[in-house]
Amino acid sequence: MDRPRRDVILIRLIEALRERGSWCGATHVQKAMFFLQEMAGADTGFEFTPYKHGPFGFDLQDELTAMRADELVALQVQNPEYGPSLVPAAAANSLKQRFPKTLRKHEPLIEFVAEKLGDKKVVELERLATALYVSQEVGVGTDASTRAERVHAMKPHISVGQALEAVRTVDDWRREATKLKSE
Amino acid sequence: MRKRTHEIRDPIHTFIRVDSDEREAVDSRAVQRLRHIQQLGMSHLVYPGATHKRFEHSLGVMELAGRVFDVITRLENVRHESVRQMVPADDKLHYWRRVLRMAALFHDVGHLPFSHAAERELLPSGWDHERLTVEIIRSQEMVKVWEAMTPPLRWLDIVKLAVEPEKRKRYVEAGALPPEVKSITDWETILNELIVGDAFGVDRMDYLLRDSHHAGVAYGRFDHYRLIDTLRILPKEHEESQEPALGVEEGGLHSAEALLLARYFMYTQVYFHPVRKVYDVHLKDFLAMWLKAQHEDGKFPTAVNDHLDLTDNEVMAAILKAAREPKNAGYDAARRIVEHDHFHLLYKRNPTDAGVNRAAAEAVYEAACERFGSDNVRRDERPAEGEGPNFPVLTGDQRVESSLRISDVLLKIPPASFDFVFVPGSLFEDAEKWLRDEKPKIIQSKETEETDGSTTP
Repeated sequence: MDRPRRDVILIRLIEALRERGSWCGATHVQKAMFFLQEMAGADTGFEFTPYKHGPFGFDLQDELTAMRADELVALQVQNPEYGPSLVPAAAANSLKQRFPKTLRKHEPLIEFVAEKLGDKKVVELERLATALYVSQEVGVGTDASTRAERVHAMKPHISVGQALEAVRTVDDWRREATKLKSE
Repeated sequence: MRKRTHEIRDPIHTFIRVDSDEREAVDSRAVQRLRHIQQLGMSHLVYPGATHKRFEHSLGVMELAGRVFDVITRLENVRHESVRQMVPADDKLHYWRRVLRMAALFHDVGHLPFSHAAERELLPSGWDHERLTVEIIRSQEMVKVWEAMTPPLRWLDIVKLAVEPEKRKRYVEAGALPPEVKSITDWETILNELIVGDAFGVDRMDYLLRDSHHAGVAYGRFDHYRLIDTLRILPKEHEESQEPALGVEEGGLHSAEALLLARYFMYTQVYFHPVRKVYDVHLKDFLAMWLKAQHEDGKFPTAVNDHLDLTDNEVMAAILKAAREPKNAGYDAARRIVEHDHFHLLYKRNPTDAGVNRAAAEAVYEAACERFGSDNVRRDERPAEGEGPNFPVLTGDQRVESSLRISDVLLKIPPASFDFVFVPGSLFEDAEKWLRDEKPKIIQSKETEETDGSTTP
């Protein structure tokens, strides 16, 4: 997928997360994009590496920074309790208007991800995204306890119990996403 | 009695100290080669003082890595329970301090002559300077040095700290590294961030201070003593997470702001100077022709011995030779470097044009190639990248806050980027007039519009 289309999807994802009350910091966008690409099947081509709060796209980070430079998104401190949020900026709408087909095609996938993750905090996103990463790494057929142990090994501050719950949630969501993609 | 600690004079850090084990690594072929690799490529053609080498930078990064390590692991500075659990016990701390310093010393050993960044064009597919760094760290020659240290070091641990995380994953997938390094622990992530991190990486701290000193510009200076003294490992409570990250005490926030402003100014004023960039382009043109004449694949060699044999000296000798005779491979590019006859800046990306078309520079480049011939037009670009300056800050009342909530300065530092189009001086006036007349049409014509189900140019 080329850059303008990827950026349009990112802008719409940020909007959809915010519509569901997400604080929408960089971590929220990182993890939501990971689910959108790896679970919902969007062909955005970012490369995710185990890093901060689980899977992390360095190329996605660069893209968000380039989008800030081009005034497609901006950093905004909205809630004094938290860090900055990513919000669509001045040039976002005109870019969106140029790619209606891309937006239409990805809207159900974006809505699916935003619905699942929009109300999640970083600590929950970290567990869920790491659970999805591990499930892909060792295979979804691997039993849930083994995957939970692996999540705990990667992120020791996530307990095995929390990891197991996250693995099971991700398994449920994957089934829903498969159904959505076949519709 | 034989000396155990050795002092090296340094214009930035006054003294850099190494013990006898570390001196073996400093004396290795890989590190000594860096005495012959320019830190800033061809920048001395713009800033004559900028002739410093990767060698002293690597020593500086090692020195700063040790200093930061000592601060962030000092007992009174590890206050949060989740961080205390992560920091290894005393006996292991010594091991990790040594690994960190060696990773810092070796982080640049894979650099090509003149630290050239055009690795995609000049190295075989799947290779970059960091993969060469990995090959050197794991070479038999170096493993002997690591194993002779007290305590012996695992080369894999050095790689984990020296190489950027996304590259490490790529090398695992290419079979160049074992799968165990694909994901690393929170502790190793902190140490890796300490070297190569965007905000407080000591690589960046050293090169800003050192490059500004040698280039003769003041932009890169900041109070690194104060900054280092206030660095802390902090749980990201401001993001409702216990995951640790490198942050700063509130008292050091102004020094952190000064570092990030220094980075912005150095990038926009020195690293992205258009004449500096165009000499990189001429050097790349020369290297492409020179390598084609030397190797069947036209690429730099990747075998460790071959890499270590090649420095700026061999390339500079070849440039001087090529510039003497028009029949020599790479003559035109070599002559431009030797005679200081560089291409001139025709167009640079700007917010007004980018508002019309984000790919305005690409559109200008393509139109100029069509008008003046592709041999007469060159383009160089680097989009904005990296992390926004969002890091944890420990406030006076012991809360952890986002730096961007506390500092309006950080929130407003723009990401640095450039996109340049160049033409020879002989065509400059014509090209400038042409662009003045045609630009509105050129930058509009490359817009890609997608309508209801179809794409139109």
